[in-house]
Amino acid sequence: MKKIIVIAKKEFLDIMRDRRTMIRMILIPLLVFPLIMNIVTRVQSSQAEKQAEKELTVGYILNGQSKTSIERMSRMPNYKFVEFKDTTELMSSIVADKTDIGLYYTHTFQADFDSGYQANYVTYYRGADMEDYDRFSTLLDKEDSVLVDNRMKSVGEEYGFIEPTSVREVNLSSLSEIIGKYAGGILPYIFMAFLFMGCMLPAIDLFAGEKERGTLETLLTSPVNRAQILIGKMIVVTSIGLMSATIALIGLFVSLNMLDAGSDLMSAINQILSPKLILTLYLLLVPLAFFFAGVMIPISVYSRSYKEAQSILTPLNIVMVLPAMAGFFPGVELDYTTAFIPIVNVVLATKAIIAGNADMVLIAITFISLILLAALSILIAMRQFGKESMVLR
Amino acid sequence: MIKVEGLFKEFKLSKKQKQENGTTDDVYRAVNDVSFECKPGSIFSLLGPNGAGKTTTLRMISTMIQPTRGSIEICGIDVVKNPNEARKKIGFLTGSTGLYERLTPDEILKYFADLNDVPKADFEKRKEYYYSLLDMHHFRSKKIGQLSTGMKQKVSITRTMIHDPEVVVFDEPTSGLDVITAENIIKLIKNCKEQNKTVIFSSHIMTEVDLLCDDLAIITKGKLVYKDSMANFRGQMKADTLTGEFIRIVNEA
Repeated sequence: MKKIIVIAKKEFLDIMRDRRTMIRMILIPLLVFPLIMNIVTRVQSSQAEKQAEKELTVGYILNGQSKTSIERMSRMPNYKFVEFKDTTELMSSIVADKTDIGLYYTHTFQADFDSGYQANYVTYYRGADMEDYDRFSTLLDKEDSVLVDNRMKSVGEEYGFIEPTSVREVNLSSLSEIIGKYAGGILPYIFMAFLFMGCMLPAIDLFAGEKERGTLETLLTSPVNRAQILIGKMIVVTSIGLMSATIALIGLFVSLNMLDAGSDLMSAINQILSPKLILTLYLLLVPLAFFFAGVMIPISVYSRSYKEAQSILTPLNIVMVLPAMAGFFPGVELDYTTAFIPIVNVVLATKAIIAGNADMVLIAITFISLILLAALSILIAMRQFGKESMVLR
Repeated sequence: MIKVEGLFKEFKLSKKQKQENGTTDDVYRAVNDVSFECKPGSIFSLLGPNGAGKTTTLRMISTMIQPTRGSIEICGIDVVKNPNEARKKIGFLTGSTGLYERLTPDEILKYFADLNDVPKADFEKRKEYYYSLLDMHHFRSKKIGQLSTGMKQKVSITRTMIHDPEVVVFDEPTSGLDVITAENIIKLIKNCKEQNKTVIFSSHIMTEVDLLCDDLAIITKGKLVYKDSMANFRGQMKADTLTGEFIRIVNEA
């Protein structure tokens, strides 16, 4: 045990001084979410502001109808109404992006309205600029409400006569339940993706890297057996992986807090991130980290160089992290089948805990199956590391 | 003391390796029935051309790989049965030995001292001895990545000796080094002899062998083709030079 600690201590010191590993394992996970969220919200809000400030040019053809509606709508800020003589001219102007929206009144519009029939107009727009059309639709809906109200008053009725029902929706699901159901898969996914990436660089550096630098031979002639070397290094690989995933979650939590401090969403997230959830998550992720390390280490041991190991392990990233997406689908849940599928089971178990409907038997199956899998992968790694044809390849 | 008896090492060949080597044999015999003894206080040199089996033999002695057949004893310890005990007695150095670039000499030496269970007081005393012997004090806290090749070699030497091994194995220790750096190795080998350690080193540089060794063995194609004292080698020479004699023996084998 003492030798394992000596090896692990040295490897920690060594890897912590590797700028490349530190940037990818600590700095990126810490900053990625605050940066992404910051950029996304800035871009979104500036886009929304720009959109609201943009003056929409609405071309209209009155066709001899009353101008009252146009006059009412043109009082709204950031709208410019321009009259056109014919539809060809109006459509060309819209296609040329000189006019944003076109509004064409049929020649019977006023007569139909006054007679109690449905009055029609045609709108022209570019589907590529839907945000302009959506903005104008809201204005047009308001104008329609005014017209409906006017008509109801003319026959001595209230607006409620034509809208006989009104619904008040009361949602009895808690926010954490909703988040658990629809976004509960994201948390373990992020954790797992960073766990995998976090394990990868040290796994490469500590085996293929050591082989490439010519330091492995010396270590093999020291009075430590290969199992001790492997375990010592494996502890470092899994710890860095878990550290990287934890830092990513802290980064995510901090950025959400900065974004929405004191909101309902944040209090729900605070509720979700209960000590019970965090404990269960780590309980499942520790054996998973050993499993990841157990898969990566034999590849790293086999590889002649850092580059060779990296070229084999990088595509494996997709194979490992893809099943973690199972949590994104609302229908897929933890059951007696999925509890045995590694990675998928961790995601679904976490999701179930977040949603508050976790079955402890299934969680236990997940945990035990992960422990067995981790043990198996450690055994395989040990066998590979014990082969002189692999180590001195 | 190193005692090697009837040593064989065979490597399984893959299909690709068989094709490349133009052979149908399933195995490649890198070491073929090798026996010799190295005594304390003397320097034994294992000579041979590239690919002769020198490194494989030394790797088996230093427990890195296991023999297919035969036995190796280090100070009376069977290296196959008890590799960890044997390793405590061995110091191993090659010309291509790497060091941890992100650590300092102090940290590397502490690491290997801890792996070898060296008591703290012995570690400090030995470290200071080699720091003074090899003039290393001024770079003891610098990271290895910032050191010159010569400085790194000095760290490697101290690392090899930090647990005061009874047996020191040098595998082409001066290969790729300039003469000034190689001089430190020569100094170390002589120092080991003075301390009554058992030294085995492989080389193909006859001047080095002439300067240092007491006994020598020549290996080619995995087999020992000559084994005697350096004095007898000189006395029985048929060629004009040591190098010429070495080439003659290898060619006649």
